[in-house]
Amino acid sequence: MDYLYLDNIDEFVNDQNKIVTYKWLSLTLGVHVNTAKQMLYHYLQQKRNEGSGTPLHATYLVSGKCVENGSKCHKVSVVREDKLNAVKAKMDVTISVHVYSVQRAELKDSSPLYNTDYDAVKENIKNCNKYSTIRCAAAVPMSSAEVQRAQEMALVPPAGKEISKTGLNENTSATPKPSAKQPAGIMGMFASKNASKSQESSKEVKTEQKDDSSLVETSKSKTASKANPMSNLFGKSAQKKADEKPNKSVKEETAASSTAPAIMEQSQTSPKSKIDIKDEQSKVSSALKVESKDTRNKTKRPEVVDSDDEKMESQQKKRRRIKKPQPDSSDDEVVPDSPPVPNVQTPSPKKQVKREPVSHQEVSITNNTLTEKGYVSESYSESEEEPEPNSQAKDSSSLKQSFGKREEEKKEKREKKTSTANKPTKQPSIMGFFQKK
Amino acid sequence: MATLTRQDLNFGQVVADILCEFLEVAIHLILYVREIYPSGIFQKRKKYNVPVQMSCHPELNQYIQDTLHCVKPLIQKNEAEKVVMVIMDKEHHPVERFVFEISQPPLLSISSETLLSHVEQLLRAMILKISVCDAVLDNNPPGCTFTLLVHTREAATRNMEKVQVIKDFPWIVADEQEVHMEEAKLIPLKTMTSDILKVSHSQLFCTESQKLNEIL
Repeated sequence: MDYLYLDNIDEFVNDQNKIVTYKWLSLTLGVHVNTAKQMLYHYLQQKRNEGSGTPLHATYLVSGKCVENGSKCHKVSVVREDKLNAVKAKMDVTISVHVYSVQRAELKDSSPLYNTDYDAVKENIKNCNKYSTIRCAAAVPMSSAEVQRAQEMALVPPAGKEISKTGLNENTSATPKPSAKQPAGIMGMFASKNASKSQESSKEVKTEQKDDSSLVETSKSKTASKANPMSNLFGKSAQKKADEKPNKSVKEETAASSTAPAIMEQSQTSPKSKIDIKDEQSKVSSALKVESKDTRNKTKRPEVVDSDDEKMESQQKKRRRIKKPQPDSSDDEVVPDSPPVPNVQTPSPKKQVKREPVSHQEVSITNNTLTEKGYVSESYSESEEEPEPNSQAKDSSSLKQSFGKREEEKKEKREKKTSTANKPTKQPSIMGFFQKK
Repeated sequence: MATLTRQDLNFGQVVADILCEFLEVAIHLILYVREIYPSGIFQKRKKYNVPVQMSCHPELNQYIQDTLHCVKPLIQKNEAEKVVMVIMDKEHHPVERFVFEISQPPLLSISSETLLSHVEQLLRAMILKISVCDAVLDNNPPGCTFTLLVHTREAATRNMEKVQVIKDFPWIVADEQEVHMEEAKLIPLKTMTSDILKVSHSQLFCTESQKLNEIL
C-alpha cells in the first residue's frame, strides 16, 4: 500500500492549515470512510512519533452506551483529545472510537468541523454516502413533483398563523444587520438593553408588515434583485407572509366580534407551528440558531447535516431556557471587563415574565388582533402609570401605532394579557411616545 | 434572471450589505477566536448555513453595528480601501491587525443564480480560515482590546465628518500609534475574488522587541 496519502494529509494540515476531517478526506481522496479514518490515525501516529514540527491536535468520535439522567442511552460525541479518556471512562460500554479530525489549530468549538464538511458534502450531495457504510434502501431523493407537494404542504398549515420574530430574520432587506437576538440565559444580564434594541428593530419590521402588502412587494422585489436563489427562498416566505396578510386584515375587521377563548387556544397551538416555521426560516436566512452550549463536550448526533430534528430540538431547548433563565444567571459573572451596563440588575421574576409574553407576542402578530390588543393595553398603562397593566384592549385602528410601542414596553411586561375589547382613549400619548423616541 | 449592473441603484447597496454582514460576523468571530472577550458572552448563531459565534453583549454589538453602518456608505461608493481590526494590548500598542482589503472589480454584474451562492461559499471559507487562524498566530497578552479602523481612498473622510451618519458616533482620525506597527509580520489568511467583490484578508502581527526580552 502506498503511503502517498501521508504526504497528502501532511500538505493539507501543515501547508494549507486545513482541518482534515475523515469525511472530508474520504470525499477528497475518494476512499471509503473507514480507510480515511485509518489514514488519519496512521498520520497522527507517524507525526507524533517523529516528535518534531508543529503540534497537531485531533478530535475523536466516541460512541458508546451510558446512563444519563437515569436512562440508558447511546451517546455519540466528538471530543477533543484531551477529554478523550475522561469521556471514555464515563461510558459503560465504549463501542467505537476513531479519529474525527486532525488540524494544527486547537479548536475552541465545533463549528469549524461542521464548516469543513459542509461544502464537501454539498458538492457530493447526491452521493455523499458513496464512501460511507450507512445505508438505507428507502432513502432515495424525492422527485421534483414530490418536493413541490411537500413544500405546499409545509406552507399551508402555517398560513394564518404567526409570522413572528422570524419575520424579522427572513425579510429584513431593510435592516441587514443581524436580527433581534433571542434571549437566553446569559442574556439576562444584557436583557433590558438588548430587549429595547430588538424591539426597535422588530418594531420597524413589524410596522412594515402592518402596512399594505405593497411593502411586502417592494421588499420582495428588493430581495429578488438581490439574488434569485435567495429570493426563491425569501419569496416563498414573503409569499407566505402575503398569504397571511389577507387573513390578518380579515381578522382585524372582525376582531371586535371574535371570542377571546378561541384566540387563546389558537395562540397556544401556534408556538408549536412556530417551531416548524422556524425550521424553514432557519434554512432560509441568517436566522438565529441557538444551540445548546455544549462546547466542552462536543456532542454531535450522527445526522449532523441538515437535521431538522436538531433544529427543532434546539428550538425546544431554547424554549426551555427561556422559561428558566435563573439557572444560567451564573453566567452573569463571566464578563468582568464589560462596560457598565445600566439596568443590568433587572429582578429575576421579571425576567421570566417578560419572556413568556415574547413568545405569545410573536404568535399574535398575524394571528389575532385581540391578543395583540392585550399587549397594547399593557403598554398603555405602563406609559401612563408604572404599575401592573390592566387589560383594556384597544381597537385595531390604534393597534398599528401602538404596536411599536408595545415592543418598547416588552421588557417591562408584568403578566400575560387577557383580551377584551375597548375603545382607545389615549391616542395622543402614543404619538407622544413615538416622538420621544 | 434579473441582471444588475453597476449602474443599478441597488447594486452598490447589495454589495455593501453583503460585505457589512460578513464583516460583522468576521469581527465577532475574531473576538471569539482570539479570546479578546470571555467566551461566555458568545452564542452560536447561523450564518451562511454554518454555525458562527456571535456576541450577546449589547454595547459591544452596538459598537460594531454602528461602525459598520458608517462604513457601508463608503463601501457603496467604493471609497473604502480596507477595514482593519486592530487588537491592542493594555498600553494601546497594536499586537495584531486583521486587515480586510476590499476592492470592487470594475466589470460587475449580478446575474446568475449561482453567483450569490458562490459568494456565500467563499465567505464560508473565509470564516473557516478565521477559525483556524490561531494555529499561525501567537497568543495575545491578557487584557487586550480592539478597535476598528477604516482606510479610505482619497478624502472620503471629510464628508464623513461633515455628515454624521449615526448620531453621537463620531469618527476621528486614528492615532499614528494605532495605525503603525513596529516589526510587523505579514501573514496572509485568505483571498477571495468573485464577480462582485474582492476581499483579501490578511493579518499582520507584531513581535515587539519587548516581548522577546521577557522571554529571554
